[in-house]
Amino acid sequence: MPLIVTRDLRKVFRSAKRSPGALGALRGLFSPVYEDRVAVAGLSMEIERGEFIGYIGPNGAGKSTTIKMLTGILVPSGGEIEVAGIVPHRKRRENARNIGVVFGQRTQLYWDLPLVDSFELLRAIYGIPQDRYRRSLDAFVELLEMGDFLRTPVRQLSLGQRMRGDFAAAMLHEPPILYLDEPTIGLDVVAKEAIRTFVARVNREQGTTIVLTTHDLADVERLCRRIVLIDHGRAIFDGPIERIKNEYGRERTLVVRFTETTSAPAIPGARLESLEGLTARFVFDRATQRVDRLVREVSDRYSVEDIAIEEPELEGIIRHIYTQGYAGEERSA
Amino acid sequence: MLAAYVQYWKINLLTMLEYRADFFMWFAFTIVYHGTALAALAVTMLRFPSMNGWSLREMFFLYALWMTAHELHNALFFNVTYVPEYIREGRFDRFFVRPFDTLFQVLTVPSRTFPDGFILGLVTLAIATHVAGIHVTPLTVLTIAAVLCGGAGIDLGISLFVAALSFWLIRVDTLRWIVMSLEQDFTRYPISIYTRGVRIVLAYVLPFAFMNYFPASYFLGKHDAAFGLSPEVGLLTPLIGLLWTAFSYAFWNIGLRHYQGTGS
Ligand SMILES: Nc1ncnc2c1ncn2[C@@H]1O[C@H](COP(=O)(O)OP(=O)(O)OP(=O)(O)O)[C@@H](O)[C@H]1O
Ligand SMILES: [Mg+2]
Repeated sequence: MPLIVTRDLRKVFRSAKRSPGALGALRGLFSPVYEDRVAVAGLSMEIERGEFIGYIGPNGAGKSTTIKMLTGILVPSGGEIEVAGIVPHRKRRENARNIGVVFGQRTQLYWDLPLVDSFELLRAIYGIPQDRYRRSLDAFVELLEMGDFLRTPVRQLSLGQRMRGDFAAAMLHEPPILYLDEPTIGLDVVAKEAIRTFVARVNREQGTTIVLTTHDLADVERLCRRIVLIDHGRAIFDGPIERIKNEYGRERTLVVRFTETTSAPAIPGARLESLEGLTARFVFDRATQRVDRLVREVSDRYSVEDIAIEEPELEGIIRHIYTQGYAGEERSA
Repeated sequence: MLAAYVQYWKINLLTMLEYRADFFMWFAFTIVYHGTALAALAVTMLRFPSMNGWSLREMFFLYALWMTAHELHNALFFNVTYVPEYIREGRFDRFFVRPFDTLFQVLTVPSRTFPDGFILGLVTLAIATHVAGIHVTPLTVLTIAAVLCGGAGIDLGISLFVAALSFWLIRVDTLRWIVMSLEQDFTRYPISIYTRGVRIVLAYVLPFAFMNYFPASYFLGKHDAAFGLSPEVGLLTPLIGLLWTAFSYAFWNIGLRHYQGTGS
């Protein structure tokens, strides 16, 4: 039995449409015209215990909306949803005990309180025993290096410090499920790395199931084995990262560094992408061209100092899908 | 839940101690606010020996009863007033992801709330009771306590209703403001001085009259000149407070299901 299941999940936002002008406003008052916006349009997915899912998609794809339904914040407009055997919006409080949530855009900490006070309040809310609380807090303070600002009011913290506080706040009750909505937004490389190490560890050591939404595909590449890619509220890909790379990343790049200036180098079966100084980049299709032949051809024709083959990065693939659409088979689990 | 509530008050106390200047300023403001209202009352009464049969002493008691109930509401339930803001700014999300009732969580958002106004109210009420010459027995004390709770319940019910409306309407500021000024302006004098329409609103629609006019009539043994009701009507205050709170809480729970949050 998967831990998280959604079947044909839908969410439609309804808002009163405003007509221009005073007359329009007056008319809207008596017979409001509603505008429906479909944010999630029939999403089915299953997530097993202990998985680390990269939930990605372009702006407005419906990622945050999905997370809000999974956490019980929003009531779905249709379809089914079950998290650890609970329908989140029906048994919101029970569901809340199973989950931790970090919204990178918005803190859940109390603005005027020092971090520790927020933590103390959470301890009381979740009824965490004093000794366990001490132990987890000490661990968080060390792992997330929070010692210096534990007593500072949240409003005085930098973004990265605050985010670390938010992580600890989401994890203090050791939930089996963690939802992270853009948790590394705006962080510097060091803070980002600290957070990545932290969540990787939580997933590995405590078996916490994690759903991560982010626009930083390096996060996903580092942390997730599986990605669910959504667009216009629908999953367009669901599977291991390798598969999307194989399907999309058929193109490889052969990087050749010549010993002397070479004008207009060419190899049959590969396309010259760029030539800068002594370095040329050839793009070829891995499915139709053999690497050993290309390497032989280039070294037969030119005097070569170094050769390397580059795999496509997830970022390039995703960019390609966002702009060109997904051409693979529709969503197979 | 109790532990969380205790923790909440502990944090409030610490915050109050930390921001002492702010606290004293606020306390001074509370004194000036109620002091001004009472002074205005006294000035009015210099010109009339009595207003619809109410003497200055009795009106002092009338005001003190409202003041104390209202301050009790402020001490316990003031956070409800912030709900429209939380909803509009998308900060309401957090109340869904913690394992407590959403309203309980709203009420326990740490703030600078401190029951200073309520304590001031109790002192004022004790003086007013004495001045009005009410004979105090233990039963009177219990009845007054029940009336105060009922009054705070009426306040809560009404502010919770307005707050719940903001699950559908983006701006409820105007409504909130109207309700607030209605309460402030129409609880100072016996409602019998107003026109019939106003009286009906204050007794049956937004029952502020049950916060002070009816119960004060009961304690002072006055005949109700507004509707000709028997003084015992004043004892209904706890029930009305309970009903309003229960009604608004049900409405609030419907609102929760309509919560849409914000886009980002
Ligand atoms: N409270 C709301 N009211 C109306 N429309 C909304 C609301 N929240 C989201 N939407 C709409 O639903 C769609 C999906 O929004 P959502 O926030 O889920 O996108 P997202 O995938 O998280 O995007 P991003 O990467 O920009 O965070 C968008 O078109 C958005 O305008
Ligand atoms: Mg989002």
